[in-house]
Amino acid sequence: MKLFTRYSRINITATICVFVLGSIAFYFVLQYVLLRQLNETLRSEQQEISGYISLHDTLPEFENTRHQWVTLQPTPLTSYKRSIRSVLSFNPDEHEDEWIRELTFLATAGRRNYLVTVHKSEAETDDLLKLIIGVTMGMIAVILLVNFIINRRLVGRLLKPFYQTIDAIRNYQLASRAPLGLPAQRIDELNLLNESFNQMAQRIQSDYHELKTFTENASHEMQTPLSVIRAKAESLAQSSANSEQQMKEIGDIEDATNKLSRLHQSLLLLTKINNHQFHTNERSDLSGILRKKIREWEDIPGVSITTDIADNVSPFMHPHLAEILVGNLLNNAIRHTPTGGAICVSLSGKSLVISNTAGGGALDADRVFGRFYKKEPGSEGTGLGLAIVKDVCQVSGCSALYSFRDHTHIFSIIFTGEV
Amino acid sequence: MKLLIVEDEPLLNQSMTEFLKGQGYLCESVSDLQAAIEKTELFDYDCIILDLMLPGGSGLKLLHELKRNNKTDGVVILTAKDSLDDKIEGFRLGADDYITKPFHLAELNMRVAAVIRRKGFHGESVVKIGSISIDTLGQSVTVHQQPLELTQKEYQLLLFFSVNRNRVLSKSAIAQHLWGDDMDLAVSPDVIYTHIKNLRKKIEAAGGEDVIRSLYRQGYKMQDV
Repeated sequence: MKLFTRYSRINITATICVFVLGSIAFYFVLQYVLLRQLNETLRSEQQEISGYISLHDTLPEFENTRHQWVTLQPTPLTSYKRSIRSVLSFNPDEHEDEWIRELTFLATAGRRNYLVTVHKSEAETDDLLKLIIGVTMGMIAVILLVNFIINRRLVGRLLKPFYQTIDAIRNYQLASRAPLGLPAQRIDELNLLNESFNQMAQRIQSDYHELKTFTENASHEMQTPLSVIRAKAESLAQSSANSEQQMKEIGDIEDATNKLSRLHQSLLLLTKINNHQFHTNERSDLSGILRKKIREWEDIPGVSITTDIADNVSPFMHPHLAEILVGNLLNNAIRHTPTGGAICVSLSGKSLVISNTAGGGALDADRVFGRFYKKEPGSEGTGLGLAIVKDVCQVSGCSALYSFRDHTHIFSIIFTGEV
Repeated sequence: MKLLIVEDEPLLNQSMTEFLKGQGYLCESVSDLQAAIEKTELFDYDCIILDLMLPGGSGLKLLHELKRNNKTDGVVILTAKDSLDDKIEGFRLGADDYITKPFHLAELNMRVAAVIRRKGFHGESVVKIGSISIDTLGQSVTVHQQPLELTQKEYQLLLFFSVNRNRVLSKSAIAQHLWGDDMDLAVSPDVIYTHIKNLRKKIEAAGGEDVIRSLYRQGYKMQDV
């Protein structure tokens, strides 16, 4: 829900409630006032009649109109308390039932007592009331509508810098090194928002570059000590005075060094791929790379490799990344194929499919391309090979899929676009 | 044969120097760029082992100097794995080979020997082990002057062993030599074992000496005849 919608909803509901309650109160107040005025009119009529009688000691001629008339009724009563009431009665002139206000009082003329009743139709009052209420309602509706339109325009304009900020953040590229540079605003809150975002972007930028420099330095500086460890272990291994236990331990040192080196390289590669340090606007000859890599593996005993490689398949992919992609997939297939198993490699203009006989069951398709996913703990791999495959695909606009069928692991790379 | 080792990490420099001395080379070592440039101006080396990240500047500068002075010293550059650009630039400036850190000393030995052979200063393109001789130019092997048919991997294996004679070669060193850095993990020890077994069988069948020993848990070793 948009801010304005939410604001309008509350605002309009509250306004309508206030206006409805106000209208009801207004109606009753107005009715009360009008009724009092009616009573006043009736009372002054009584005074007029009473005045005439006391002057002439006879009843006056009554001029009855459609809205006001007087009726007389001789009465034996000698005293009567003046009464005012409203009755519903039929008005023959209007041909309908209407409310009549009646004032009845005792008048004595020519030594006879009369009950004089002055009637006045309330229709006029009602009409007035209706008119006033109608006008009021109309005004309320107009006020609401105008309010809504103004708010909408105003809020839209007020929020414009806010949306500009959102756009700027959405399009911001960390790797571009440029500051976020949101402009200063006249509105304090928006200004604060922009300033905070600018500061945040600056902090993230510097953290990001520090991290990048760190990885770059680490990539170079860590290799030398690793070389030292490896060289020393190799020298130690040459000594004939070693016991079997010592040889085993030297071997363990070598294995750990290899693994550390490979882990380090893989993580760096992942970081570089994700930092978009490889350009993907060149094509690489996947057919050639695949053939070359497979030739390396041709004489592996116990595993048969069948190939079906189309010529000139060259998707948009950095050649170095293409080599790593193919290498990792083949490496994976060869490592996990049991003796006597088969590997099948097929490359077409649409996809690269590498499948191998499975030693066990299916892998977890959701996690197989994740980092450090290993089916058996303690296996030799770094657990990053397929994560690299996925990331290479991601930056090259391909997709990597895994499926399991007939005891076979199937890894497919689907190319998009012209290859 | 004279080598110059240019590496700023003292421990690694020391390891390489000791190892290559043990291989019968005459080694000099320096740890910064300026010293290296001075050395190359004064002497000729058969092969220079050059680290690219040096105090005093990039090792590529030394390549520039060599080129400027029309020197033909062989150069093997040491790089970190990911500096692809350095590698390409190094080749452009006349480096003969490169090896990525961390490397196996046996592999370094192999590369140095190959560079020296290729440069042909000593005319030693044939490597001999008893009755087996390896022609590194024609990439062929003969036993008792009879040609021996080897697969590509077996040939590489034999040459690797012969260059690193009398040294224990670990399985990971062998795997990395045969399949490269990225692929060696895929190889089970059985695969290396099978290749070596086949190689030994072929040599034996041709009447050659059985010079490759398998050492329990350590790896393999080729002994002098």
